[in-house]
Amino acid sequence: MILTVSMAVHANPDDEDCQGPTEDCVAVGRWNISAALGAGVRTNPLVGGKDIPLVIIPQFSYYGKRFFLDNLDFGFTLAQRGVNTFSLIATPGYDRVFFFRSDLQNFFVGFPDASAPTRAGLVSPGTPGAVKVAPPAPRVTYLAGPEWTFEYGQVSGQLDLLRDATGQNSGAEIRAALSVPLLRSHGTLSANSGFTWKSAATVNYYYRVPIVYSGSAVFDPFVKLAYTLPLSGKWRFNAFAEYEHLGKGIADSPIIAEHGVATVFVGATYAF
Amino acid sequence: MRSSATRDVAAWAGVVLCVGLLTPLFPRAAQSDERGGIKLELRPRICTLSASGGQCDTVVHATWRAPDNESLCLVIVGRPEVKRCWENYSEGNYSIELVFSSDLVFQLKDIDLQQVLTSEVLRVIREAIRYRHKRREPWNIFD
Repeated sequence: MILTVSMAVHANPDDEDCQGPTEDCVAVGRWNISAALGAGVRTNPLVGGKDIPLVIIPQFSYYGKRFFLDNLDFGFTLAQRGVNTFSLIATPGYDRVFFFRSDLQNFFVGFPDASAPTRAGLVSPGTPGAVKVAPPAPRVTYLAGPEWTFEYGQVSGQLDLLRDATGQNSGAEIRAALSVPLLRSHGTLSANSGFTWKSAATVNYYYRVPIVYSGSAVFDPFVKLAYTLPLSGKWRFNAFAEYEHLGKGIADSPIIAEHGVATVFVGATYAF
Repeated sequence: MRSSATRDVAAWAGVVLCVGLLTPLFPRAAQSDERGGIKLELRPRICTLSASGGQCDTVVHATWRAPDNESLCLVIVGRPEVKRCWENYSEGNYSIELVFSSDLVFQLKDIDLQQVLTSEVLRVIREAIRYRHKRREPWNIFD
């Protein structure tokens, strides 16, 4: 804590190696707005859950000297020391996207489908012998905590230690990931790998079924391959494929039908 | 104790006296470009451009005033096409639309354009953009 405060007081968040707009650097005090148009899908692991279509993906961010807004995340940079950045961030709880198609996080992944069911259910009405159990109704939550991002050679990494800040479930999450560029020519092919650890409180907030099932803490690893290619003007081509494996505490829940979440997208992004 | 207080009062009186004597000098220094009390004012005085470039494109209003009638001309350094003269006037106005990307120096010269009577600068200020590292989030769909 003392270290953090000391760094906040003494460190300058300006980056000496950021002298212009690049893939890694962004202008301070300006909005960055873009939209990707294409085709893709994110699978929904819930029983009866409809996959999430990816058609238009808006993205926006704003970086002040210390404050930043990154889609639905926001934070405050405490210190920038060379390749290390320490921030306090707040980010929405992720799993709600599978339960409510209208969740804002789905808007920033794809168009919410108004015709889709808004809630997943454990059983279809009329299923012979089924015990009707009220499905969970998770609310919007925000997790908050420190974030460390770093670079080591070509590798960039991130570590978030998060805790529910909205008083909904008192759950905690650890998110860690590394990103490695595999090919860099005109376009860039990169591989991302990491995990999310979710406490039992987080898992049960989303996947517990009263009387029937109570989960435990989970370790969800993921891998992602992404390719981006600058096109003419403000256009660039994007394609990616991601797979996240759901840990046992989630996968064993009776409201879960799939043990993983796959996301694929191919399209073009326009930066306004 | 009393002696110390007296010394303090004397010291402050000295400071106040010095400041009082020096203060009238500052306006004179600010008006050093003016000769014969001729004053030139510009509106706007500053044009701000974005760091990405562009040019100022605006109507500039120049107003001058003199204590006595003067014969003089208003010119812009580096813009020979701009020249407006007055003969036996104590004040004058001139408006002109200008496109520019660097400071413009407006001068009031005598009628023979030999002597600069006073001058003012319309400054161009470019916005300085600072950059910082973008947050990389491997969970983000495009990071």
